[in-house]
Amino acid sequence: MNDKNSQKIVDVIKNFARKHSLFVLAYGTGCGAIEIPATMTSRYDAERFGIRGAATPRQADVLLITGYLSTKTLKRVIRTYEQMQDPKYVIGFGSCTINGGMYWDSYNTIKLLDMYLPVDIYINGCMPRPEAVIEGFIGLQKLIAAGKAEGAKKYKENLDWYRANQKKVIKNWVMPDYNW
Amino acid sequence: MELHKEKQLLETLQGVFQLKSGEIKRRHRIEVEVEKKDVVPLLLFVKEKLGYKHLSHISCVDWIEEGRFELIYMPWSHQEQILIMVKVSIPRDAAEMENIDMIWRQANTYQRELREMFGIEFPGFVGDYDFILEDWEDIPPMRRDFDTEAYVKDHYFERPGREDAKDVRTEIAKRSGEQIPDFAKKYSR
Repeated sequence: MNDKNSQKIVDVIKNFARKHSLFVLAYGTGCGAIEIPATMTSRYDAERFGIRGAATPRQADVLLITGYLSTKTLKRVIRTYEQMQDPKYVIGFGSCTINGGMYWDSYNTIKLLDMYLPVDIYINGCMPRPEAVIEGFIGLQKLIAAGKAEGAKKYKENLDWYRANQKKVIKNWVMPDYNW
Repeated sequence: MELHKEKQLLETLQGVFQLKSGEIKRRHRIEVEVEKKDVVPLLLFVKEKLGYKHLSHISCVDWIEEGRFELIYMPWSHQEQILIMVKVSIPRDAAEMENIDMIWRQANTYQRELREMFGIEFPGFVGDYDFILEDWEDIPPMRRDFDTEAYVKDHYFERPGREDAKDVRTEIAKRSGEQIPDFAKKYSR
């Protein structure tokens, strides 16, 4: 039973199930959090794609970074991300997470999110409208179905590199070490 | 427009305190400048005697060329509907100001912010040092001698831009055959 082909079939079923139940952590930073209620509620109704909210990190699959991220918030976001159970994905919203956006010369926000957390997909815009948000989620679903959304695996394998980047901006590192 | 309420208030303040300057900016707003020693008596006077119960804001301006910080206290009266802007200058190095959080409790928040963002000390003031920033080790970031761009280059990563670095506006105009007026050209890169 454990040969390569049966594993492939299991993966297809697994990815199919995963892509149709994306539980999004109810957490928002910056201005993009205001687009989430519009996306979730009746007008754009994200639940028809299996996207819905989750109350705690341990129940959630998707972490949304909805806009600029100050170094103070980054500490909390890293802790949240590390508490999430596998499978887990990160979506970066808007130009602030891509290259700093309008906060490119701010002394207190990080510029490139993918240096600190493994980002599976970016949605561009400032801010992305609900249509763009849903488009981004569908992009993520396609990645999951193809088995390419491997951010969490990348994070585990290159943890030292991520840690070094994170400790560069977070001076006082008082966080628990998780061993997944 | 009648400004008799504002004139009356300014005359009262001029009678009681030695103002460096006093001016009616517009309706509902006057501006006075005082010495550092007169600030607390003046704020107490307008609060207790004239009914300016509400402290709207404490603001700060960094006059680096003149070597001074300018603090602006803004009490507001709901009866009189007047905002007094009390300006005071303090030396920029070893900046120190009287603590007023026993007059208005909300001054606590403003003073913590001033201490963190400008490095102004308030002797006798009890409040947590961390306010908005966390683990800040550089000079206070709102001071004008703080070089934001150098700090950003030093602490954060930068995404490299496109090699050609063309101006978006001109490229779009070229594509659609649009004429950009001369005055707009100086705004594009």
